[in-house]
Amino acid sequence: MSQITGNIDGFGMDTISMAGSLVAKLKAMRGAGFSQVMLSARDLIGHAEGVDAAVQAVRDSGLRVTGFQVLRDFEGLTGKLRDYKIDIAKSMLELCASVGSRVLLVCSSTSTHATDDLDDIARDLRRLAMLAVPHGIKVAFEALSWGRTINVYPQAWDVVSRADAPNLGLGLDSFHSLAMKTPLDELDVIDPDKIFLVQLSDFMWNEIRSVEERIDTARHFRVFPGEGVHSESSADMVLRLDRLGYRGDYSFEVFNDDYQQMPPSQVAQRAYSSALWLGETVLQRSVPLPGQMKLRRVS
Amino acid sequence: MNTNIQREGLRASVNFLGIDGIEFIEYTTPRPQALGQMLEAMGFRPMARHRSREVLLYRQGGVNVIVNAHAPELAGITAVDPTPVIAAIAFRVRDAAEAYRQVLERGAWAVPTQVEVMELNIPAIHGVGSSRIYFVDRYKEFSIYDVDFVPIPGVATQTPAPTRLHLFGAVQYIGIDRYDDWIEFYSELFGFSMLPDSLRFGILPKGHVLRSPCGQFHLQLIEPELTDLELDGREYFSRIGLGTADVLATVAALRESGVKFSESEQTAPSSRGAITTGPGASFELVHHSND
Repeated sequence: MSQITGNIDGFGMDTISMAGSLVAKLKAMRGAGFSQVMLSARDLIGHAEGVDAAVQAVRDSGLRVTGFQVLRDFEGLTGKLRDYKIDIAKSMLELCASVGSRVLLVCSSTSTHATDDLDDIARDLRRLAMLAVPHGIKVAFEALSWGRTINVYPQAWDVVSRADAPNLGLGLDSFHSLAMKTPLDELDVIDPDKIFLVQLSDFMWNEIRSVEERIDTARHFRVFPGEGVHSESSADMVLRLDRLGYRGDYSFEVFNDDYQQMPPSQVAQRAYSSALWLGETVLQRSVPLPGQMKLRRVS
Repeated sequence: MNTNIQREGLRASVNFLGIDGIEFIEYTTPRPQALGQMLEAMGFRPMARHRSREVLLYRQGGVNVIVNAHAPELAGITAVDPTPVIAAIAFRVRDAAEAYRQVLERGAWAVPTQVEVMELNIPAIHGVGSSRIYFVDRYKEFSIYDVDFVPIPGVATQTPAPTRLHLFGAVQYIGIDRYDDWIEFYSELFGFSMLPDSLRFGILPKGHVLRSPCGQFHLQLIEPELTDLELDGREYFSRIGLGTADVLATVAALRESGVKFSESEQTAPSSRGAITTGPGASFELVHHSND
């Protein structure tokens, strides 16, 4: 089935937005007209026929893997806890590579056992980036809005800059920016080549009054961009990133309990409408000509 | 592409692992005799045999090459692709255990080694592709080969280099847009520094050249051309570079031994360098003096 009528090439869905098996999710995305998928480790580990079969299912789907998520509570630890998290990180990197993903998403730590020293945090991220080099993986570091030390994207950009590794960059999630009301002007100082992934979502209320409500909203009540009450801010963010020179992928990071009770095809259709709105109405992209060349950066 | 030459150069000025050249290069191949013949044509001599495995040590001057036909990963390889693979590079370091600890702390992947009784446990990390990087600190008073290898009868333990070749470095092919990643990797883990592009060695003026902090070993990183037909993204050590003070004289001598050289427009032998052709492993000659 093909219903590609508009330019949604830069947009993809997360598997976490739908219920059902991995194969059913991939089929729904493909059917809706998407060409890429953001995967979670659980998609592979929880696959009924095992990891190898899951990897094969992804490859067979024809969908490009936008990225792989998510490594949590990694940075700023010491001693045995640090060694333990390095092992977890290595396992994530291997899974990430196995499925052909070039980006691993890392969320800022919420652990009370982690240091708040920015240089120590940067050192750990740099080590993670070096671990990722042989696998050809880029590490996208994202500020979780309830992160202990890093909870807004300008702080994440600060430690990414301190770590200074070519394959370490930023992961932006519009939910956390909207929830924390982080000024989008701060985007202007970021090198667009160091933004490795942008995740988009919206939600249905204007104010989030506590950390608990923020976590609850993030995990259960997100909607696709354009479906919530922050359409204007979502459009503003995408336009600013486009002006900045960001040409990477956008993925819909939509955790929503209601969408878990809908057929995947219907959820994918909602995501498609969102992508169409962003691609055509907001960014006003034209449909590419057949055989359009993909140009590389000049060395 | 921005490759931060100045910063790399500054950081790499410290040889924090005490690297002191290369102890050996290891090839894996399901056809050890074919590679052995090629090595002998290039001036190497078989020196010793591993105590427990189908592994041979070849030597020329100070260059040790190990030919491993025992590797478990060779089990599935048949005549489909018998091309030898550069499976490992062993750095000589001040203290192997300390070097190993330091690189792990900096973001290297440890390789679990399988050691038989009375064999040396040489620490290893993952390198490009399926390759490994070893750390060896026993090369002054006695060598690792004294423990794990048995000399081949009738062969002197040291052999002069008939063609006076020395190890210049290795060529590593990388994926698209991966220069910065690999330059950072070799700089962070081992203290390599990038040479300015104006300083060129060999016949192929491509990519970027890194130099080890001891100055004895070079890595040429080469990205595939967009015109290359096979852009499979594979990353690997392609060949070693052997240094010689007189490339053309060496080419003439090696031709006498049956070695064939590429005669294509880009890579025909010149005073700067040459590349061997034919089935099996390829070697590059590089104009470089070891004095």
